This record gives sequence, structure tokens and C-alpha cells, in this order.
Amino acid sequence: MQVTFKIWRQEGPNDKGAIKAYEVNGLTEDMSFLEALDHLNELLVLKDEKVIAYEYDCREGICGQCGVFINGRAHGPHDNMTTCQLHMRSFKDGDTIVVEPWRAASFPVLKDLIVDRSAFDRIIEQGAFISAKTGTAPEANAIPIPKEVSDRAMDAAACIGCGACVATCKNSSAALFTSAKINHLNGLPQGRTEEHKRVAEMTYQMEIEGFGSCTFTGACEVECPEGISIINIAEMNARVAKSKVFG
Amino acid sequence: MALNQLFFRKTVIAGTGLFLCIFLVVHLSANCILLLPEETARGLYNSYSTTLRESPLIKLVAYLLYLSIILHVIYALLITLRNRKASPQKYVMNNSKENSTWTSQNMGLIGTMILLFIVVHLANFWARIKLGMGEAVNLDAAGHVDVYEVTSALFHNIYYVIFYTVLAIPLALHLHHGFKSAFKTLGFYHKKGLRIVAKIALVYAIIMGVGFGIIPFIVYFK
Repeated sequence: MQVTFKIWRQEGPNDKGAIKAYEVNGLTEDMSFLEALDHLNELLVLKDEKVIAYEYDCREGICGQCGVFINGRAHGPHDNMTTCQLHMRSFKDGDTIVVEPWRAASFPVLKDLIVDRSAFDRIIEQGAFISAKTGTAPEANAIPIPKEVSDRAMDAAACIGCGACVATCKNSSAALFTSAKINHLNGLPQGRTEEHKRVAEMTYQMEIEGFGSCTFTGACEVECPEGISIINIAEMNARVAKSKVFG
Repeated sequence: MALNQLFFRKTVIAGTGLFLCIFLVVHLSANCILLLPEETARGLYNSYSTTLRESPLIKLVAYLLYLSIILHVIYALLITLRNRKASPQKYVMNNSKENSTWTSQNMGLIGTMILLFIVVHLANFWARIKLGMGEAVNLDAAGHVDVYEVTSALFHNIYYVIFYTVLAIPLALHLHHGFKSAFKTLGFYHKKGLRIVAKIALVYAIIMGVGFGIIPFIVYFK
């Protein structure tokens, strides 16, 4: 299999960057997309060129480290999938594949396809945790939680923080990410003691990080590898209003 | 804590938007009078518009309406500017049509078209009847200001008919996305409820688009 990669190359945060084309032979359909990039990087090493920088960790679709814009879609052509779970069988022989880093003012490019997503970490620091005594875990049945409530919290907790929601959003809004983190904890009794503070501080941080506002295009829930529903954003909006009144 | 501009601005846009949605229902209902036979329509239409102009309650609603349009536009402009700043660099290749509708990606553009329409529409009616600009408007047999004549004359000009009809399309698109999004922005997060809202939004948008779009044509051929 042979494809032409058109990849964003950028030396550093202050470099202008540009798309560069690479024709790559010897790929197979069984290769994952990242393996195809590895293959390209090996060829670049042999030619004594600088390798393409990109992020990954688990390559099992669970860590949220990988994530690039492929042919105009976050994480590639499929819905609800991470970049590492994309395989070359999704492309045809002779295809041109455009690969770009996430684009958002709050996600500055560090090098090539790697962006700085620490804005997400700073949102998390503002309250995506619960204050609890450490030590032995309490008895599991001490706090009864209805199945529907725990299901909704778990659905929100599935967010791996990959940043695809921000990347695909025309406004670079972090609303899906922040709402998932807020609803995960605020929906459960353990998170309720700090609910208003959490909502106020996390959404404030989201705002000062420079993310845009949500206009409900719905692109984020299509690109989210965990299929986190956009209804979470509506729920966050209700929680913001509630925190203004009761917080 | 902080003002939460992201939420405040969106809330204003959603709230004013829904208010304008209600207004459009009343407006279209009144427009339906134009479909009646000529003399009945003239009498009803003119007495209806006179009642509206003379009612203090409607005066208050009218001011709310102007305010809503202005706030809707200003805050939409503000969030658009902020959102542009949040995503300064565009992708070389972006297949947004595969994950979202064209309408949802272009509400600003569609809204601008509607604003252009409102300006022309106000110049056609409001400026002439309320501000007395342009050619003086006659009274009808019952002594009411003959708004029907103004409408009828306007819609016998094919260029205006086309303008009014074509701009009903962006109106329908804007209402379809705006109506259902407003509920989410205002924090309505009931899953089944939102599905119903989406269906209502579609029906509402079609009725408004077809209604406002077709009446000028019917008047033209009357």
C-alpha cells in the first residue's frame, strides 16, 4: 500500500510551520495509523531527516494521548474513535492523507503534531476531585446510589481528555470536556458537598484559558472517542445557573 | 466569583432568541389575514394594525422586541469575536460537514442575512408608517391607516417578493438551529425532552420559513 502523507511540520512554538508532503511505500492495511507514521519516521531517520513529533501512549484507545486531525476530522474519518485505533484499511491505496495538529489558541503547537494541552490540567486542578479522608475505602453499600445516577456519572467519567472536542469545535470550546468532568462528580453524592464551588471554579478556569463558547454544532460528540453526549453541556449550563443562585 | 461571560452571553442570546420566536408566531398569524379576500383582508388588517399601534401594552412589547433584537445581535457579535480569537488558526483541511450541519457552523452568516432583511423590512413598513418617512400613507374607508395598501403595493413589486421569499430560507435555518440550541443553552437537559424539542424546532422552522416565504407570492398573484 502506498499513500502520500501531507503533514504539518513546525520546529517549535514560535515557528510558522507548513504542510510537507511525504510519499510512503510499503504500508499494509493491517498497520495502525500510528504504525504508518512510525514507518515514515524510520524512513526519515535513514535519510537523516528530522522525525515527525507526535504523541501517543497506550495505543489501546484508552489513554487520550494520541490525537491529530486527519483528513479534516479529529482522530480521522471514523466517529467516536481515537487516532491509535484508526487503521490503514480505512484508506485506499494511493490516497493523500492530510495530518494536522489540534488547532486552538488554548492548545499551542509545541512541535509538529504535538500541542500543549495543559489548559485541561489547569481546569481539572480547579475542582475535578473530591475532598475525602484518605485511608481504607469505605464500605461500598454505605452510600446507596441508584443505577441510573451511577450510569450517568460513569458515562461522563469516560472522558479521556484527548482534546478532540476542542479541536473539532469551530469555537475551540472546551464545554464538552469541562461538562463531563463536572457532571461526573456533581451527579454523585461524594461530589455534592463541593458542587457549586466546583462548577464556578472550573467554568471560570475554562473561560480564562481562552476557550470559546459552545454554540451546539454537535461536532464534539461525534468526534469524542468516548461518545460523551452533548447533553452534558446542557446539564453544565443548568449547574452554572444553579451555582449562581445557591453557590 | 467571576461573571462567567461565556454563559452570560449565551444565556442572553438564547433568551432573546426564544422571545423573538414567540413574536414570529404572532407576526405570521397576522400575516395570514393577507390571504383573505381583498376587501375583508384590508378591513381586518388595518383595524388589527391600528389596535396594535394604539395599545400601551403592545408599545411595551415593541420596546422589548427592539431591545431583544439589539441584544441578540450585540451579544452574538461579542461571542463570535471571542470565538474567533479562541480559534485563530484554521485547518488546512476541515470536513466539518461530516460531524455537524452547515447551519450550525454558519449561524453568524445566516444571522447577518436576517439582520439585512430586518433593516429592509423596517424601512419598508416601520419607517413609513411609524416614522412617517417617504410617501404618506392614506386612510382606508374606516378611517384606519391603510397598512394593507402599503403591503399590497410592496408585494406587487416582483423584486421585493423575491427578496422576502429568498430570505425566508435563512430565517428557517436560523430558527431550526437556534430554537433547539436555546433550550440546551438555558440548561434543559432532559434526554427525551430534547428529542421532542428538536422535532418541534423542525416543524416550527418549516412553518415559519414556508409561511413567511409564500405569503408575498400569494399576495403578488392575488
